[in-house]
Amino acid sequence: MSITNEPGTPQSMHEDAYAEAPSADDPSRGREVWAPTEGPFEKPAKALEVGPLYVGVEERLPELAEREETVAAANPPKKRGKLSVDRRDFMKLFSASSLAATAACIERPLEKAIPFVQQPVDQWPGEPVFYATTCGECATGCGVMVRTREGRPTKLEGLPEHPISKGKLCAVGQSSLQGLFHPERPRAPKIRFGQRMEAVTWDEVYEHLGSKVAKTQKIGILTGGATGNRHGFFREFLERIGSTRDRLYTYDSNTLMESVAAAHKLAYGVNAMPRADLDQAKVIVGIGADFLDVGSSVVYHTHGYTQSHAFKAGNRGKHYQFESILTRTGAKADERFVIPPGAETLTTLLLVRALIENKRSKGSAAARQQIQAVLDQKAEVVASGYERVGIKREDLDKLANELLDEASIVMCAGSSAFDENATNLQLAAIMANELIGAYDVTLHLAKGWAVPPGQPGDLQRFLADAPGLDVLIVIDANPIFSLPPAFAVQDLLAKIPTVASIQEFPNEVDALAHYSLNGHHYLESWGDEQPVAGFWSARQPTVRATHDSRQAEDILMWVAASAKKPLGYVDYRDYLKKKWAAVHQVTGSQLDFDRFFDGVLQRGFVNTGASQAVSSVSGSLAASFKYVDTGRGGLRLIAPLDMRLGDGKHAHKPILQELPDALTMITWDSWVALNPTTCTKQGLKRGDVVKVQGPGGSFEAAVFPLPGLHPEAVVVPRGNGHALGAGYIQGGVGVNPLVAMARGSDALTGAPVTSGQAVKLSATGAVRPLAMTQKHNDIANRTDIVKKTSLVEARANLTKKRDLDTVPDLYPALPKAEYRWGMAIDLARCTGCGACQVACSTENNVAQVGHQMVLQGREMHWIKIDRYFEGSTDNPQVTFQPMLCQHCNHAPCEAVCPVFATNHDPEGLNAMTYNRCVGTRYCANACPYKIRRFNWFTYKWNEMGTDEYWKRDHSPRPMNPDVTVRTRGVMEKCTFCYQRVRDVKHKVKIRNTPLVDGEIKTACQQTCPAEAITFGNLFDPSAAVTQQRQDNRAYLALGGTPEKKEFGIKTLPNVSYLADVTLKENAASEHHGHE
Amino acid sequence: MSDEVKWETTISDVNDGILVNLEKPSPAYWVALAAAFSLVVLGIVFWARQVTIGMGVTYLNSPVYWGVYITDFVFWVGIGHAGTLISAILFLFRAKWRNTINRSAEAMTIFAVISAGLFPLIHVGRLWLAPYWMAPLPNTNNLWVNFRSPLIWDIFAISTYLTVSLLFWYMGLVPDLASIRDRTRGIKRLVYGFMSFGWRGTAKQWWHYEAGYGFLAALATPLVLSVHSVVSWDFAMSLQPGWHTTIFPPYFVAGAILSGCAMVYNLVVPIRWMFKLEKFILAEHLESCIKLTLLTSTIVFYAYGIEFFVAWYSGNPYEWALFEKRATGPYAFYFWVMTFCNCLFPLLFWSKRVRNSIPISWVICVLVNVGMWFERYNIIVSSLVEDFLPSSWGHYEPSPTDIFITWGSFGWFFFWFLIFCKFFPIVSLSEIKLIMPKPWSPKKLKGAAKHGAH
Repeated sequence: MSITNEPGTPQSMHEDAYAEAPSADDPSRGREVWAPTEGPFEKPAKALEVGPLYVGVEERLPELAEREETVAAANPPKKRGKLSVDRRDFMKLFSASSLAATAACIERPLEKAIPFVQQPVDQWPGEPVFYATTCGECATGCGVMVRTREGRPTKLEGLPEHPISKGKLCAVGQSSLQGLFHPERPRAPKIRFGQRMEAVTWDEVYEHLGSKVAKTQKIGILTGGATGNRHGFFREFLERIGSTRDRLYTYDSNTLMESVAAAHKLAYGVNAMPRADLDQAKVIVGIGADFLDVGSSVVYHTHGYTQSHAFKAGNRGKHYQFESILTRTGAKADERFVIPPGAETLTTLLLVRALIENKRSKGSAAARQQIQAVLDQKAEVVASGYERVGIKREDLDKLANELLDEASIVMCAGSSAFDENATNLQLAAIMANELIGAYDVTLHLAKGWAVPPGQPGDLQRFLADAPGLDVLIVIDANPIFSLPPAFAVQDLLAKIPTVASIQEFPNEVDALAHYSLNGHHYLESWGDEQPVAGFWSARQPTVRATHDSRQAEDILMWVAASAKKPLGYVDYRDYLKKKWAAVHQVTGSQLDFDRFFDGVLQRGFVNTGASQAVSSVSGSLAASFKYVDTGRGGLRLIAPLDMRLGDGKHAHKPILQELPDALTMITWDSWVALNPTTCTKQGLKRGDVVKVQGPGGSFEAAVFPLPGLHPEAVVVPRGNGHALGAGYIQGGVGVNPLVAMARGSDALTGAPVTSGQAVKLSATGAVRPLAMTQKHNDIANRTDIVKKTSLVEARANLTKKRDLDTVPDLYPALPKAEYRWGMAIDLARCTGCGACQVACSTENNVAQVGHQMVLQGREMHWIKIDRYFEGSTDNPQVTFQPMLCQHCNHAPCEAVCPVFATNHDPEGLNAMTYNRCVGTRYCANACPYKIRRFNWFTYKWNEMGTDEYWKRDHSPRPMNPDVTVRTRGVMEKCTFCYQRVRDVKHKVKIRNTPLVDGEIKTACQQTCPAEAITFGNLFDPSAAVTQQRQDNRAYLALGGTPEKKEFGIKTLPNVSYLADVTLKENAASEHHGHE
Repeated sequence: MSDEVKWETTISDVNDGILVNLEKPSPAYWVALAAAFSLVVLGIVFWARQVTIGMGVTYLNSPVYWGVYITDFVFWVGIGHAGTLISAILFLFRAKWRNTINRSAEAMTIFAVISAGLFPLIHVGRLWLAPYWMAPLPNTNNLWVNFRSPLIWDIFAISTYLTVSLLFWYMGLVPDLASIRDRTRGIKRLVYGFMSFGWRGTAKQWWHYEAGYGFLAALATPLVLSVHSVVSWDFAMSLQPGWHTTIFPPYFVAGAILSGCAMVYNLVVPIRWMFKLEKFILAEHLESCIKLTLLTSTIVFYAYGIEFFVAWYSGNPYEWALFEKRATGPYAFYFWVMTFCNCLFPLLFWSKRVRNSIPISWVICVLVNVGMWFERYNIIVSSLVEDFLPSSWGHYEPSPTDIFITWGSFGWFFFWFLIFCKFFPIVSLSEIKLIMPKPWSPKKLKGAAKHGAH
């Protein structure tokens, strides 16, 4: 069989795995990184270490190689007619070429696991091997580093040097392993025979599909967003088999990129999306923006946002947010204005007006003239806008002033504003950003995000062309579920004679496809992304395919070959190498190509330095600006993309289903979020099931009164609502709000409208309890849990030190040791994204327990992010607080355990001996932070508490072999990732030099895009964690008010918090609660 | 009190009158035994299911890691206390009325403590390891139990209590077993003879017996106070608001005696009827028991008040918030049941009429037991549901498993108690004779004098 997906080239394994990314103050960080660099791959030798798996096993076990030959000899190739390359020859060719290409790609007999008779050069049992690759969960193209153990991925981490991910990863990226090892991934491709789907061999697939493809020229491909060579390949394929290049259609539910690109096309004539460097922006204005929730690149934006917005060295930026729903972005804003649904464009226009009327506003004369023309054209709308939006003109004037004071940015739209005006809104955003001079300061067009080819407008093109297609190949896309049913994509697909669906995980398209083909997971695939113009991020397999799946591109190649129109590549890797030859040339590298390519794979990315051509404002903005009045009043349904489940693509991962929504804290369900006032008016309470009747249909879901929503907003997140039977995890969970949507399209791009449609609510009388991980919303007037300080105060006390450890008590002094592990968490930074929770669960084999168990309060998260609302229910202040085991030095849990199962480690850790635990649960009762978790049952990996699930054939599980798997009856909790501490301690011992601060990173800290978590040795006075513990903002949770000589419960945790810094005066006294 | 008692019987009626329980039992006995046994079976079925599937079959959760099982544990330990109080402390105080009910009270103690002892085992997550690792056994790993943990103190306290109570009870039984031996034949005689350790009723034996009994009474007396104090430390030693308070030991002891006295009354009244012991356990003795219930109820009432006062007076916001919620929050029902049953209904006992009406008193005593169960539930659950961090606040209600195992424990307790009633003298033969009048007949008087003082 073809071995197209051997694991690629690992990072040098002896390189420090948890190496520190360039620090925030490092001048090499930031924009400079985008420039072409003398990368490490320019240096030879080290880059060329041999591959990771069973290298040279044939040489040492000749009988294996021999057996392969015998098998091949016993099965002479069949005559297959006039193929230019016979399939078996093809395979031989491939084998030969891959042998020649790199030592890492020798064909290896891997059908059976063979213990090491002689250990391969770079495989050490128990020693991880790291691969650099590119995350494929969304089109952002974050670099990831995959930790593999004995050939199996166990954890994903951000690639430290990668300029987009900056060593960080979001919750979805962290969940990749559950996609890879999902038990429901099909074991074989299937072909439909009448009503029956039958498992077949790949040969049969190629033969059958090839014959279909050979017969027609009306062949199309529908796929999701991607930025690398993938789309180019698809086009080449279409062209080769006789179709045309433009029958490649892309659709991505996150149409933000599409509308931004369309607006820039209209305004500047370039189909591009500028890169927003939030770390450069002192003032950020978000209008319906969700750059911290979904946006265009959550990790990049969260990192940049916290760089400029969180309190640092006496300063912090400001963030104003206008939105009709409550997003995490809005929750972090300093000032938040609640606007009616659909008023984002109007609000932006009003801001543009305030800006253009300000004498200090920037922008070329031509641009200003254009902008003025737009305002004049919409004079009426604008004039009545203040009343409509509910914002005073003075406020906007003031805001305009502030925007012009410093480097600033206006971020418009997120998935809550995908309505008819989505692209108009982006045009308005361009005007605002022109006027504040954001381009080339905070917004970079030349080195902007790469836009998938074909956009904008692909969806409409697809809908128009689809009825005429004979063959449609759907690759990693799910138009049936992610588009409103009003678009009738299902009927459209049903009418196409041949539909082939190649999916990494089966979805609704497979249910009606004639060919349901199981594609590779991205961790098994070759590929690349070009997230930013001229910046290439490579994707390589990190594991041999877990099932008999194939990479989509390779399937197409075989199909083309079977249709007697071969593409002339050995496999997709071969194609990539040919394409990368061009990149090699552009970089001007002196190395030969193979060395260059290996180097790139090892490093994970390369920057060619190329950029997009940019012109100034051209065309007529006024003519392009086609503002659609969406009406006003009444209740409006808004269906934003869920930050965890996206458009439903990730709904099959229990780890994400169980990650609570950051604001409602709901897991495993859909909900109808309403303003509490609206709820009271309608007589609705939390959990009451309402029927939401929209123009396109209706659905029923439970109500959640969410403070901070506009009274007209009915917010139902997308992501759930897969039909019952569509999988054990996602099937039957929640509702898809899109069913209520009528068919509507963006006025300029034709992207689907998923928000702002008028709906009616009616109570059904039923009650559905929502599985929330936090049931109480306010802080209940408690003053020593979450602390806040004002900017003035924080600045005044900047140099003052605090001593949290001197607490009068009767305990003996803490023992002296080499280390005392501690953690500091900055509340000013935490955005509540939940990446830490997923990272922690993956690293520590934390079980997911399912809807019923969460309802009963039995979630197992070792780290949770508490969310507290304060102030008015119409516009609350929101605080996020990561809460984990505080590793108290005077731990209440340790004293009460009868069997010493929980005990104090000499290095300050509150350790847990699972074998010793008998499950009295006394420790959990004694814990004031209630972060201990009990195994009420034996939770198997993503078993969800049902026996039925566990009976299914399970693939190898992504358990971290370094961490004990707990059984029922045992208490567990955060260990400060002790396995990582121990690893580094071993290294320190071997190399015989002291521990370097930052060398040990816990899983939560490692992935945190906001860099809110610091871990280290508290006995090292220069360690960052020690500095932060002595910071004037530092406090201990439940540690009372030390300045008033009140020391709370005196548990003396090793986890300290840094108080949030607000722009308001006298922040500390603001503790009004509400339920 | 008992000095003014008007006896209709004399000591010569004692053996014949009391040992009727060894005869063929009444149908009521069989019904009661069958009911108790079915409850035991029910409890075992649910417990077996819990062991097989996991602790998750209860509705325990985070933050309420302790629920009905620990409530049951504290309840049964508490029940036991009245037995020791009655048999040991009142013995030392020479309260004569206790001689009629001390035997059944002691039996109640033993079965209650055995019932209580089941619950830590039912409650732990890994039953198969708990007895081994919670026992302080020397081992090569030098791993000891954590002597700082109140749960270990519990193990010592409860096992000491059970041992001393058992010895005390059995020692009192020895002369009575000898009496039974003397009345029976065949295998029964052999068994009772073996159990009575060859008691002959000689003066020397009586001398040793009295000394030993007094000594054991003195030994058991501190246990009345210590055991429930130690149990209260399970709660008081943690930082949990609502638990972390110094009033707990005396408060728990008073509550234990209250529930124990009420349980003695609840047990003695039907047994007295079932085995026709009205001539021996007189209304006046029962009234004394009620008076003790009234006394402890007022102490408990005071403790409740002081607990609230201190929560407010301490200025601890967490403590006060919890107490506020106890009385008004989602668990207010349990709080008010507890207050009414333990503090207010017993106030009716101030009326002599109520006190002397056995049915009314019996119902109030049942209510007191219900109230005491709710008190423990209230202390455990309402303190855990809403503690320090509002983010962790939760909810708990008992699952069918909890409830059926609780019923099972009642069945278990009554089952053993009924077995006791069938095979042992329910009233202490030797001790009741001390407080009863001598027979009328001078001949018998003479004969009795010959045999020494009974």
